[in-house]
Amino acid sequence: MASSGVSGYAAISARVRAMYSSLLSTQEFARLSETPDFPSLIGQLKQTAYGPYLESLKEKDLTSRRVNLQIKGRLADSYYSVIHIAPEQTRSLLKHLYRNFEVGNLKAILRGIVSDPSWERLQDILFPLGSLTVLPAQAMVEAGSVGSAIELLQGTVYDETLSFAMKRYSAEQNLFPLEVALDLFYWRQLWHEAKRLQGLDRDQALRIIGSLMDMNNLMWVIRYRVYHNLSEEELINYTLPFGFHVRDEDIRAIAAGADIASVVERVYPNIADVEALLAEPRSGLPLLETKLKRHVMQQCLAAFSGNPFHIGIPLAFLILSDLEIQDLTVLIEAKSSKMPDEEYQPYLLRTVTAKV
Amino acid sequence: MFFPKAMTELELIVPARDLLAVTQILSRYGVFHQTDSAYPNVATGSANTWQETAASYAAFERRIQAVMQTLSIDEGEPPSAEFDAMVETEALRLAVERIEEEVKKTSDQLNIEKKRLEQLENILHQLEPVEDIELDIAALRNSRYTYSTLGLIPAANVDRLQTSLARVPYVFLTLRSDSQKPVVWLAGPQSNADILDRAAKSAYLDPLSLPEGYEGTPAKIIESLHRSIEETNQKIEELKNTLAQYAKEHGGQLRELLWQAHTSRVLSDAIVRYGQLKHTYVVTGWVPVDDLEDLTTRLRSASREILIETLPTTRYGHNSNVPVALINNKFLKPFQMLVNTYARPRYGEIDPTILIAFTFPLLFGAMFGDIGQGLVLFLLGWLLASKKIKALSGMSSLGGVIAAVGAMATIFGFLYGSIFGFEGHLVEEYLGFTLHPLWLSPIDEILRILSFAIDVGIVLLCVGFLLGIFNHFRSKDWAHFIFGHNGIVGFAFYIVFLGLLGSFLSQSPIAPKIAVAIASLPIPFTILAIVFGIAIMFSSLLRNLVEGHRPLIEGGIATFIIQSIMELFETLVSFLSNTLSYVRVGAFAVAHGGLSMAFFSIAGQEPDLGFWITIFIGNIFFVVVEALIVGIQTMRLSYYEFFGKFFTGGGMRFEPLTITPKEEG
Repeated sequence: MASSGVSGYAAISARVRAMYSSLLSTQEFARLSETPDFPSLIGQLKQTAYGPYLESLKEKDLTSRRVNLQIKGRLADSYYSVIHIAPEQTRSLLKHLYRNFEVGNLKAILRGIVSDPSWERLQDILFPLGSLTVLPAQAMVEAGSVGSAIELLQGTVYDETLSFAMKRYSAEQNLFPLEVALDLFYWRQLWHEAKRLQGLDRDQALRIIGSLMDMNNLMWVIRYRVYHNLSEEELINYTLPFGFHVRDEDIRAIAAGADIASVVERVYPNIADVEALLAEPRSGLPLLETKLKRHVMQQCLAAFSGNPFHIGIPLAFLILSDLEIQDLTVLIEAKSSKMPDEEYQPYLLRTVTAKV
Repeated sequence: MFFPKAMTELELIVPARDLLAVTQILSRYGVFHQTDSAYPNVATGSANTWQETAASYAAFERRIQAVMQTLSIDEGEPPSAEFDAMVETEALRLAVERIEEEVKKTSDQLNIEKKRLEQLENILHQLEPVEDIELDIAALRNSRYTYSTLGLIPAANVDRLQTSLARVPYVFLTLRSDSQKPVVWLAGPQSNADILDRAAKSAYLDPLSLPEGYEGTPAKIIESLHRSIEETNQKIEELKNTLAQYAKEHGGQLRELLWQAHTSRVLSDAIVRYGQLKHTYVVTGWVPVDDLEDLTTRLRSASREILIETLPTTRYGHNSNVPVALINNKFLKPFQMLVNTYARPRYGEIDPTILIAFTFPLLFGAMFGDIGQGLVLFLLGWLLASKKIKALSGMSSLGGVIAAVGAMATIFGFLYGSIFGFEGHLVEEYLGFTLHPLWLSPIDEILRILSFAIDVGIVLLCVGFLLGIFNHFRSKDWAHFIFGHNGIVGFAFYIVFLGLLGSFLSQSPIAPKIAVAIASLPIPFTILAIVFGIAIMFSSLLRNLVEGHRPLIEGGIATFIIQSIMELFETLVSFLSNTLSYVRVGAFAVAHGGLSMAFFSIAGQEPDLGFWITIFIGNIFFVVVEALIVGIQTMRLSYYEFFGKFFTGGGMRFEPLTITPKEEG
């Protein structure tokens, strides 16, 4: 019998709250942001919960890429712990949420095969999925071609999706259809998993996953229209008809050529200056994405108030952990390339208090 | 048997020219646990070269395995320990490439034919729904006024495709419903071909593409397809036969190449972890003391100039970096698995395997005492342990445990006078012979068995306390040895607690005899309870005092006092709960008899077929469900009540460098 409510969530709720308290505090994050350079950022980061993950790095390995890889280990461990103690009926959703990193790895492998098929280089950028992956990553890279690499995925969940997309790859020699197919597959499955839940679990999952999906769906349709000049029917086929705030009519309106800013402002009235952001898409779209991520953050934080016995808390914690790593990646890249504060801070999801 | 194998740390300085010979000796005998020689100032420049060599051997290993998989050849038995030569990568490359090329040609052809077969079957699958239509497919595709496409589409994209076509007129038909790949037909005016085509493509609609030579009506094409499928199947069969021939020809060589690549990879992986000085290599690791002399002799014969330094390790202290190799014979192995499931003993710690090998079956048997069911468990366990059932050979260790608990349950069956649930007069009535309990019948003497169970618990807990004290003594952890909850003060407090419990329950029929006996001793238990109670309350302060930790008290005085009171309360509660926890041993023995009675009530009085079927089902229930529950309870008593008193665990596994990994010895 599926355990739910207080009995099902007592342990996981306590555990996740303890893990949640180990996320970077505002003060810790401010201290990290205030470090003058990359070495002092790493020194400061070692004082946080990410410290143990950096201990094994030797001095010569302290590059931004290796540090990024190491800190992701913490996120992998969080997923592993949460999935392990989650109530049976929610594990499938959590595992599928984790698959996002596997899809990311799969895309990175395919790009690697096309651009620079070196396993040594590639393994440093793959998310450390541990045993929770079906990708024979090294064998795929060594397969030498996209087609041979994808053949190694026979029997996995990606087989069916990629078999259709491969036909287009063979004809067009472009990874775009493969990546879009993977994205659509991932989010459709995730939505399906969320909808399979019941009661409060379902409401919370649809709210949190839906918010995440809104952001992706909206950014896809905008980017495909602005950068790729795709037609209306292509835009519709490459996006999803569901979400939490963003309705299918909104996506279709953008696909049909409606003013993007007015659609975004209608869906997200709290996001200011959308028009200005869209006027200069190269710099504006990443900023718009940052604002949408902040909205997702708010949705996640809201899960921690009220009744704690539902899937919302573990989901929110995992997404917040991921967003924290994204923030740290911005900091690491900025400090390692000696970027001035005012250039990178707008891309941080957390607000950094100005130096006194 | 009581402690892990004694270990010695070994440090070798190996001249570069003897590098390989020394590595071969180290990997040949499976007694050397390698550690990273990452000393400061040790140059690791050449490590990269070895890393590349190791990577190339690993790649060869994978390539050979891939060829073997294609030819369905198994890896075969591992070679002898002497088989540890490192082959030249070039020689390996030539040999692998030669076979690979030969096999690849046929296997590629086979793959092409398989793909062709799949494609033909796909086309057939798409055409079957329109078999009856008298229409030239090619003509439909080349129509002047109509855009038309027939093909497969991912089921999830069907709705979205139709949504995307909202602004143009179109016809969309699902010709064959399929949960994954429906066959669909999309048509519309040729003037909108561009839009329809983009929509179909972006929905990943895979249009039907007829190979050369397939023309005419669907029925005609289907007929030709059937012929082609038959031909392709024939070709596939021929290619498979060719591959089988290759497997016969190259099987032996491939196995040899695989082990050569594997051995070379293991050796170069080991070398990657050496530290390199200018002309020498530094190798560090651990060796069981018993194997040290033999290994050093062999190393000296392999390299005259090798420098060997041994650093004997004392069992005292924590030694968390010393690998732990357990010494248990084959009868104790299954119980080692039980211990390792909880934790691996630390180097200086007592290995509780032998204790658990005695207490686990004893507690199980006492809860599950039945001659017949015990024998069934014993036979089941013996079957698993003997690996006679190949599919269950992975459960051989568990089989050993099941056999042991089954044997003990049989012995207790005689003590309780129970066979397949039949007890007392029922044995004579239904089975035709008499069976008297050699000791007692739990269902008839409930209080006696419960009281006895608590006594068993007290004995086991006392043993646990003494072992804990011994472990603290060996690790020279004097603070915990004296003031720890499982140290001398804790044990003394437990004895005083038993004395008080004994005097409190002395008139009760359930009073544990040991507690009553302790209570009868002329000792001022009340005064001692206050003294040891205070010592337990302030144990953290006293430990800090002995260890020299400052500050003595963390936080404020008020917090400390509240914590101390809580600590005393918690200790008392844990004494009581740990001791009473063993009541379950008696309770399950009683429940076993009670459940048997329940099944007899269901079965009725007449020994007809229905009666025996009910008894049979009841016994299956006992052997499967009750045995499982009793097993879990035994594990709980062992892990939490018993181990909790003395066993910390957390030791590092001894993983010797070896070409052919063996099971833990």
